[in-house]
Amino acid sequence: MSGKAFSDIEFGEDLPAFKPDTSLANVTKFAKAVGMMTGRFTDHEAARKQGLPGAIVPGIMSQAMLAALVHRWAQNATIEKIDTIFRAPVLVDQEHAISGVVTDMDEDEHRIEIDLTLENAAGETRVLGTATVRLP
Amino acid sequence: MEIDELKRDWLDQDFDEMEFEAKAEEIVDFATASGETAPRFVDPSHPDFQAPPTFVTRFHGRRLLPEEFPKLGLPLDAGKAVIQKRPIRAGSRLLGRSHLHDIYEKTGRSGRMVFLVSRMELYEDGQLASIVDSRMVIREKPTG
Repeated sequence: MSGKAFSDIEFGEDLPAFKPDTSLANVTKFAKAVGMMTGRFTDHEAARKQGLPGAIVPGIMSQAMLAALVHRWAQNATIEKIDTIFRAPVLVDQEHAISGVVTDMDEDEHRIEIDLTLENAAGETRVLGTATVRLP
Repeated sequence: MEIDELKRDWLDQDFDEMEFEAKAEEIVDFATASGETAPRFVDPSHPDFQAPPTFVTRFHGRRLLPEEFPKLGLPLDAGKAVIQKRPIRAGSRLLGRSHLHDIYEKTGRSGRMVFLVSRMELYEDGQLASIVDSRMVIREKPTG
């Protein structure tokens, strides 16, 4: 997807959903990049020993995935603010989907607000977010 | 403990300071693993190569709360907000300063929950580059 202009956007528009890569290999790659190589993120058995159902995706990775949805939709978008609520664990090696919808538009400042959601395959919301985005 | 008392004693006082560096390889791995596809985040040779806005969440101070902050219970991660003021580039050297930005409470059927917002402000060459708010929630231990 290429760049977008503010005039291209419609209030209530859905962003194309994407399925993030929550495989153990990819989460381990992220954990290494951010210096969070702990068992709860990189090892199902170690996570189970901590009382979790399995390895979990770091909260900051879920947040980064929500931001990625915005850039996949509009590569030239500038995210000025993104606020995220970690409602429930995102489990590694399980399918999830990220979606977004435009919920506010400021024509003077060319800013839009996007509500973001990360759900598991059962349709349960695991992470919620709101991004304030500027477009040319 | 009263919220007003906590606010009076603990808000807006720097309790940590650390230096960080944004490395190109870490930016690319962070971006690709989180699903970014825009060249400015995943290609170091791109003329506008920069870190995705939430990359700064990978910078951790020595502590999330002031050293002497009262032990109200186990703080759990309740969320995170990032405000980007300017792009973070590969090789950027950042100074992170942390303070408690907000304290508030919510009361539900299971009792009172205290929310703490620990804010890290990241500066590059004296200019504010990014703000990271880490929200923690503490479920107050029942008394009596």
